[in-house]
Amino acid sequence: MRLQPWNRRHLIERVMQIAMIGSLVIVGLCLGAILGTIIARGLPSLTWQMISQTPKGGFYMGKAGGVLNAILGSLYLASGATALAIVFALPIALYLQTYLATSGWAQLVRLALDVLWGIPSIVYGAFGFTLMIVLGVRASLFAGIIVLALVELPIMTRAMDEVIRRLPRDLAQAALALGSTKLEVALRVVIPQTLPGIVTAVLLAFGRGIGDAAAVLFTAGYTDRIPTSLLRATASLPLAVFFQLGTPYPEVRERGYASALILTIIVLVVSFGSRWLAARLQRYTVK
Amino acid sequence: MAQNPIQSTAITRNQRIVAISRQRTDTWARRVFFVITVLPIGLIAIVLIGLLYRSWPILSRYPLVDLLFGVDWKPSEGRFGFYSFIMGTVWVTVVGVGLAIPPCILVAIYLAEYAGARIRLLAKPILDVLAAIPPVVYGVWGLLSVVPLVKTVLGPWSQQLLGFWGLFAVQQPTGFSVLAGGIVLAVIITPLIIAVIFEIFNTVPVDLRNASLAIGATRWETIQRILLPQVMPGIIAAIVLGASRAFGETIAVLMVVGNIAQVPHSLFDAAYPLPALIANNYGEMMSIPLYDAALLCAALILLVIILLFNILATVVLTRFVK
Amino acid sequence: MHIIARLAGLLVMGALVLSACGSTATNTTDANSGELSGTIAISGAFALYPMMTVWTEEFTKLHPNVEFDVQGGGAGKGMTDVLSGAVEIGMISRDIKPEEISRGAYWVSVTKDAVFPLISAQNPYASEILARGISQTTFAKIFVTGEIKTWGEVLGKPEITDEIHVYTRSDACGAGEMWAKFAGGKVQDDLKGIGVNGEPALVDTVSKDTLGIGYSNLNSVFDVRAGTLVAGAVVPPIDINDNGQADANELYKTTADAIKAVADGVYPSPPARFENLATKGKPTGVTLAFIRWILTDGQQFLSQAGYVPLAPDQQTESLGKLK
Repeated sequence: MRLQPWNRRHLIERVMQIAMIGSLVIVGLCLGAILGTIIARGLPSLTWQMISQTPKGGFYMGKAGGVLNAILGSLYLASGATALAIVFALPIALYLQTYLATSGWAQLVRLALDVLWGIPSIVYGAFGFTLMIVLGVRASLFAGIIVLALVELPIMTRAMDEVIRRLPRDLAQAALALGSTKLEVALRVVIPQTLPGIVTAVLLAFGRGIGDAAAVLFTAGYTDRIPTSLLRATASLPLAVFFQLGTPYPEVRERGYASALILTIIVLVVSFGSRWLAARLQRYTVK
Repeated sequence: MAQNPIQSTAITRNQRIVAISRQRTDTWARRVFFVITVLPIGLIAIVLIGLLYRSWPILSRYPLVDLLFGVDWKPSEGRFGFYSFIMGTVWVTVVGVGLAIPPCILVAIYLAEYAGARIRLLAKPILDVLAAIPPVVYGVWGLLSVVPLVKTVLGPWSQQLLGFWGLFAVQQPTGFSVLAGGIVLAVIITPLIIAVIFEIFNTVPVDLRNASLAIGATRWETIQRILLPQVMPGIIAAIVLGASRAFGETIAVLMVVGNIAQVPHSLFDAAYPLPALIANNYGEMMSIPLYDAALLCAALILLVIILLFNILATVVLTRFVK
Repeated sequence: MHIIARLAGLLVMGALVLSACGSTATNTTDANSGELSGTIAISGAFALYPMMTVWTEEFTKLHPNVEFDVQGGGAGKGMTDVLSGAVEIGMISRDIKPEEISRGAYWVSVTKDAVFPLISAQNPYASEILARGISQTTFAKIFVTGEIKTWGEVLGKPEITDEIHVYTRSDACGAGEMWAKFAGGKVQDDLKGIGVNGEPALVDTVSKDTLGIGYSNLNSVFDVRAGTLVAGAVVPPIDINDNGQADANELYKTTADAIKAVADGVYPSPPARFENLATKGKPTGVTLAFIRWILTDGQQFLSQAGYVPLAPDQQTESLGKLK
């Protein structure tokens, strides 16, 4: 039987819809299973003590204490690194689009960023560590922030770049025609118009930074104390998760999941917060 | 830069100064931006030179061919063949990215073009969270769910149905395998790829869709004929980003991939990717000079692989855009 | 412009807040009062990390003016940090290598640990294996040469053809190196088998794989508080005297049995081993006082954490190295 064109078109529509919903279910199930694992195993050990105290002696053997050191450490590290990365990422993304467009330079920079993005963070960590040994510096919050910023920069820039690239040309050209300089176009037209995408880029990078263990292990170190200075070593949540999941004591491993849950909640709060803020800032744009 | 309505007919001195200073700001911004923009290229150069310098003790001692194509890995006896690790990296990445691409594109399209406002509002923060979960947690999940799944379900099925084909034959029944690594990798890069593609779809003006729908096209036809051609370069770029990430993913993969220094021949063989080699040994062996050099040499090889892959992708992408 | 200005503002503010809270660490002993003070930075093997946090807390109770900064990162990092002067003490869970000694590393042994072989409690031949034990040469053929591939060959019964699933640690570690030395190899890379990352994962994997075999440190395979083997795992006896059966002193079912066998030296070494603290040159000042305390009063905290205290002669030897 040969389908009528109308029927065939709607059959395709149906098939594609089913395929999409099927993929959504599969992806949702996998990702849901991961979140489920963290919640199911982390929630029972997520006590107020976990959030409000630093580890006491024997914490890694199941005795009293919490991971406040890692929570604060991770917040300092990730927010510092994200802020530092924005300072570089935004100009690069804007420059690539408003000044260079599709020239050879732009492609070279994009290539460089994609390659940097693929380098495992442990290599950045090893690199930073070698440099610190040469300079005779100890592991510190400051070193951790710089290396994490390097880890975050490529994905932040490229995600921003991809969004800015899709912005219709006419909008920018209209502004240029009215006599705006390119910088003004970038700041007053491009950024506001693409703000949600820029926020996504920042959040992707923030997530990469706050979730990374290998880069900070060698540069920021790990200590049971709360960081009090940029020059002191600091703990971080991914390392807390890693250490705790690696101990022989089951109750400590459960706390590892609780630490992962805390990390998840932090990212969730930051994500909701910044998206809400972006939506408020973006009320006056061309849809 | 508020305009004074009274003086708007003639260009005053003041306005000229404003215009000049605006031009000047623009010129300066251009210079500063340019310097910042070339930083990534400089960074790559620094990393390359640094790694070359640090792995020189190995590179100067053994012929490059032996290092790249040797399969013997016995650092204590001075034999450093990276071929198994290179192939391990390629296998796991290809499987991971291959598994991730189709569902990622479909889900992103669904979220961007079909889903209601509420699902979209929820999807973004969830994707953020998933992109931020430490890889070690993905690894633990892989150990608890994916390895047993490969061991008890996928392995036996594959052996029964496709066992005659080497790629699907099960030689090693523990579940720690290229496939397990690939699945975990696919799940890790999924949130990233979906998030980027989703944002790209969102930048396409609504008018374009409405015009197509108005002349009677179905939604899928609109997507296929109008949207996809426009966003295709972006989708490819998102996939390249995902693949680059996959090359470098370390902890989660090494927890499920088996870490045997051999060239895999089947999805169910164990493999040992380069990042896993570095992560497994760096913290413990960095005080042994030659071992340290070998691990940084592994990092250098990985960097070159990623570089080649990205150059290839850029060439393809340029063709595509034309 | 607003956004950039705001972000830049935030960054500057953040940096100010952070540095304002800061205080620079001093690293001197207070000579006037005679009371110990100063900061001791420690980094190195994860195997010693939990124990070290107990020691530092107990020591701080005695000497409140001594501050500690303890980091994990691996034995190699600990050694690199010590040699470069970034930390005072490195925790090394393996033997010190000649390359490291020639670069100025000095060390003392502070505790004993041991690696035990491991099979699943559900292994179909578990009772037979427990009765007969496995000899060192058999372990060598399973883990290093790969000559033995089935459980039948282990038990001398060719009719059993179930394959052995060999597991090893993927991450370089003291346990892996010691097990390799026991099994006739030299370094961890000599061990065959599927590489599993981390000790808990290896124990878990072997426990669930009925045909699996692996190895693990004492405190991962024996539950320290319950005093028994961890659920799901069994330690196959090492047939030390090669008589084809497991004798009473080769079979460990409780934590106390195992700790005693290691402390008395009944359990062979390797796979028993010393864990070490490394310094650059001989330790001095607060660092010396701390290491000396670990070797004396500090030893009492070891067994409750699943580590083995030093025997008197080893203790004397270590203390002698500090003089």
